[in-house]
Amino acid sequence: MTATPTAPVGIPPAVTEETAPFWEAAAAGRLLVERCVRCEAESFPPYGMCRACRGRDVEHVEITGPGHVYSFTVNYQRWMPGLEVPYALVLVEFAGHPGVRVFGRLRGCPPQEARIGMAVEVGFEPGPGGYAVPSFIAVAAESAVPAEGAAGAERAA
Amino acid sequence: MTGMGTDLFERRVVISGVGQSAIGRQLDRSGFQLTIDAILAAVADAGLTVDDIDGLAMFPGGGKANLPGYANGNLYEIQDALRVTTTWRQGIIEGMCLPFYGPAMAVATGQARHVVVWRTVKEGSAARNAGGRPAYGSTNSAAEGPLAWLLPVGALSPVCQLAPYTTRYMHEYGVTREQLAWIPVTQRAHAALNPDAVYRSPLTVDDYLASRMISSPICLYDCDVPADGATAIVVSAAETAADLRAPVGVEAMAGVVDGRPSWEQWEDMGRVGYATAAAMWARTDLRPADVDVAEIYDGFTIEAVWWLEAMGFCGPGEAGAFVEGGKRISLGGELPLNTWGGQLSGGRLHAAFGHTAEAVRQLRGEAGDRQVAGARVAAVTSVGGYEAGAALLTSWPR
Ligand SMILES: [Zn+2]
Repeated sequence: MTATPTAPVGIPPAVTEETAPFWEAAAAGRLLVERCVRCEAESFPPYGMCRACRGRDVEHVEITGPGHVYSFTVNYQRWMPGLEVPYALVLVEFAGHPGVRVFGRLRGCPPQEARIGMAVEVGFEPGPGGYAVPSFIAVAAESAVPAEGAAGAERAA
Repeated sequence: MTGMGTDLFERRVVISGVGQSAIGRQLDRSGFQLTIDAILAAVADAGLTVDDIDGLAMFPGGGKANLPGYANGNLYEIQDALRVTTTWRQGIIEGMCLPFYGPAMAVATGQARHVVVWRTVKEGSAARNAGGRPAYGSTNSAAEGPLAWLLPVGALSPVCQLAPYTTRYMHEYGVTREQLAWIPVTQRAHAALNPDAVYRSPLTVDDYLASRMISSPICLYDCDVPADGATAIVVSAAETAADLRAPVGVEAMAGVVDGRPSWEQWEDMGRVGYATAAAMWARTDLRPADVDVAEIYDGFTIEAVWWLEAMGFCGPGEAGAFVEGGKRISLGGELPLNTWGGQLSGGRLHAAFGHTAEAVRQLRGEAGDRQVAGARVAAVTSVGGYEAGAALLTSWPR
């Protein structure tokens, strides 16, 4: 281990009016998405607009896990000097939250053990520029949902 | 019969010229000089002079660049150097994806008669200067717009963004790396016959399987080759065909974005490009079996897979079996694929500029040792998913 844990290599997000609530909550370890006041549909990423009914009145709600992995990759390439590899990146969806898919890191298991359908808990880790970035936590294998068992994933764990 | 009638705007235009600079891993000439080389070659190839040109377009527009070496040959400076009067101009980064789509609209609506569009990359030199293929968005200090959801978590390259599509596709259809290997392997054999290809030495399935993983399951040979080079294409009014050296017809084209226009939010990562292909086929009586040569986008192996299936050359999930062994997609096969080597071996000339240049050469019978005998219909596609284009080009006269 040569990199300093407190200074992860990478490119930080440019924070905007629409995305500030997400990044502020991320720092507190909470995953926020937009929910439409009118129709209650959830949208991600945040646009200040409901993707279901185009309503402009949105509030922010927290999504808690577990989610499940829609797809993933294990990155081996050192794209920037000092980047620690390998690491797994997962696309996570949440049963009962059809408008939400979040890209993040995976921890709690070796990156090569990432699988489609595996259950993960919501988490964050220190990212570039002092921002906390999504970093999902693998749920122990015996409680993981089957690969196609997305529905009811919240109950399975 | 065609669903659209016979008055399709693309039938009023031809692709009259294609030209390329030298193409290489790294070239010690500026992107500007490479651009001028390609434009002058394309204009001469069309049988025109620079004074005939009244429209200019480039990809990307506005000099916008997310990758070092991505954008070269500034439109204003090129126009000034060439001393061209324009009645139509366009910078294209978002848009219809195919290089000739916007120029065709301009020509078909009478806004210009001969448009040159160019794309110049210096990504090979940029990769060398960075000590390796640089991170996407590393030209900026912070990740803006859609990149804010990709770069900070470590999806630092298009490789990391396309890899989950490959993972999902292989999961859904049981396609293997041993099967997919035949795309880069066969295209390398084609590149061996193309003196302008970046990599021409033989590649085997064993080489592919032994190569290093970049972002699983995408390995080194699944990635296109960062290169230096310029491609220019001239789009002309069909009514000028008699004045042109060797025009090629545009039978049909379309670009449909029917899913979320985002790498990571695209809903169904196992199916990409279908709406674009369907819209394109609705504009022609030709069918997939009529296609003699396929110059389909291959920024990564998986993108060629998308287009093989979306265009109907094989069914959903069947691309692995279709390409396995390489016979069908070889020069003598039923669907010769990326006969110039594609971006995987020919070089990342990007946005289907290299694919278009090759399609034109094949339809003219000017593709040298890699010529597909009697090629009369070529498919050209670009990217897929959040930006997508597909076209059929035909030999001339139709
Ligand atoms: Zn709503």
